[in-house]
Amino acid sequence: MDIAVLIKQVPVSNNVSVDPETHALIRASAEGMINPADLNAIEEAMVLKEQTGGKVVVFTMGPPDAEKALREAMAHGCDESCLITDRAVAGGDTIATAKVLAEAIKKYGKFDLILSGALSADGATGQVGAMVAECLGIPHVAEIQSIQYDEAVPDKIDAVKKVYGERFHVRCALPAVLSVNFGSNVPRLATLRSTRAAKNKPLATYTNADLKLPADQVGIPGSPTAVIDSFEPTGGRMAEMLEGTPEELAVKLKNMIDEEKGKL
Amino acid sequence: MEKKKIGIIGGGISGTCLGYHLSLYDNAEVIVFEKDTIGGASTAKSAGTVCLFDDSLKNRYWDVRLYGFESYLKMEAEEKGSAGFDKTGTLVVATNEQVEATIKTGIALAKAAGYSGEYITDKDRIKEILPDISTDNILGAGYTADDGYFDGTMISNTYAKKMQKNGGVIKTGVKVTEVVVKDNKVTGLKTSEGEEYEFDYVVDCTGPWSKFTGEMVGVDVPIWHTKAEAFFLCPPGKKLNYTFPVLKYPEFYGLRAGDNIFICKSHLSMDLNNPMHAGQWDPDKLPATGGTDDYFIDFLLDQLEVKVPGIVDSGLVSSWLSYRAEPKDFLPILGETPVEGYILATGYGGNGVIEAPAASRDLAKLIMRGESTPLLEDWAFKRLLG
Repeated sequence: MDIAVLIKQVPVSNNVSVDPETHALIRASAEGMINPADLNAIEEAMVLKEQTGGKVVVFTMGPPDAEKALREAMAHGCDESCLITDRAVAGGDTIATAKVLAEAIKKYGKFDLILSGALSADGATGQVGAMVAECLGIPHVAEIQSIQYDEAVPDKIDAVKKVYGERFHVRCALPAVLSVNFGSNVPRLATLRSTRAAKNKPLATYTNADLKLPADQVGIPGSPTAVIDSFEPTGGRMAEMLEGTPEELAVKLKNMIDEEKGKL
Repeated sequence: MEKKKIGIIGGGISGTCLGYHLSLYDNAEVIVFEKDTIGGASTAKSAGTVCLFDDSLKNRYWDVRLYGFESYLKMEAEEKGSAGFDKTGTLVVATNEQVEATIKTGIALAKAAGYSGEYITDKDRIKEILPDISTDNILGAGYTADDGYFDGTMISNTYAKKMQKNGGVIKTGVKVTEVVVKDNKVTGLKTSEGEEYEFDYVVDCTGPWSKFTGEMVGVDVPIWHTKAEAFFLCPPGKKLNYTFPVLKYPEFYGLRAGDNIFICKSHLSMDLNNPMHAGQWDPDKLPATGGTDDYFIDFLLDQLEVKVPGIVDSGLVSSWLSYRAEPKDFLPILGETPVEGYILATGYGGNGVIEAPAASRDLAKLIMRGESTPLLEDWAFKRLLG
């Protein structure tokens, strides 16, 4: 089974600033990492690959330094990668982004399954996976916990969802897009050896000249939605330092908890 | 007795340890200014290995090592966890005769101070201590069960508390914006809060920031940043069934960190002329995690494949990059500068946790009584001039 995984680079820390003019998140101010739920998607892909063979190709749209996230994904076991980077596609909303990713997937090759993380740690819209499926005209199952594949039924796949504590199996035809929940599995770690090997794995780079999407369909011009307001969370250091012996600290803590309970 | 007012810039191991040692004098008025949190910057990224006979500090400075080690043991005995001591023991591997001789001298010194130490040439015995090691191409190893590693952040906070008990003041979240100098003499400093303080002495304990701190008084502090690139490895079996000791090779060192293993290139193997190893950068731009270079992956893989093959296929849990502040001779810069009252306690490089107690003890005496010591003479700023 050939699998595409869609990943996103998100800031390591929550300390992200907001552009007061465009209301966009200024990500250049923070170190990037692979969106945590996307690591769960990669792990699902790796398990399926071990079961069925084939290859796993990881896709991302972003600035040139998003190559780092792709190399890291390949250190986690993905075989190939594709970076879509072009100022023309930058700043797009979820629809414009999905169009670009769908076009890149079509251009790259034929895939039996496309996986993404269910939510990004920064934007957290949870929309791109579903929109990619829509652009490609294939089924989508959102917020899944795991995947079950039966080789006796090679043209279908079971997406396992958890709803109110119950597990539901949603069977859908392949190819399909599945969005994997954060924390649904334990992603394997990269090793020194796999990190070094990832440096030499294939990485294709596409611009919009390769994808040939109309300029008014991508980036800011291709985005029907606009962020009209955003704000940086206010707050501050609310921690109170307690001092004393362990016994005194325990009494103080208990009193504070009792006091808080009294407010409820 | 006339009070002496001392302002300390930086609340890492250097600043808090000096603050504590100064607070032991009844005529000292000490304020530590920390722009972030106590022991939270390069101190927090320190491995905290204070071993009885590794290669991090020459045997010439054995007393410095012993004073540091015993200061922390006493701290830990006063309140468990206050120095974050993990008594794992240390294995120092001899890869050539020169290293072997250094280890043997260190063992003799440790034993003279009442600690255990043995030089082992029986390779089966070395593998008993560290089953994942390769004993090919080594002469032997020094081992003691008495030491291990400490937690620089815990120690800094403990010194800060002890200093406060003695009347010292800590100001966190406060950045020093100007050191006031009149007629080439320090008179005080100004902070980001808009406050102005009068001091007889201002001490730069800012480590990797010293280059910038010194610029405030026109002192060119001759330090370079060397990259401390650290990786946390999850062993292939997820959990080791033995106590991973502090492991020292001339090229790198390792220690346990919970169920993981911390590995870092040794600071004495850094080449100040290699731009991949050293430079003068902005420590404020360091990310909290990550930031390591590809060359280090290659270096570490090559080293572990040959020397500790049992952990070479460990998972990479996380990594970080820190800057050590190193003068050209890899020794600290302590004491007076051409600006009267502007004192340095910086440049500890990778050895801040080891060296700070003895250095602070002597520096406090110099500031409070005007009495120098052989250690201060050795590590004086003037050695680096001209």
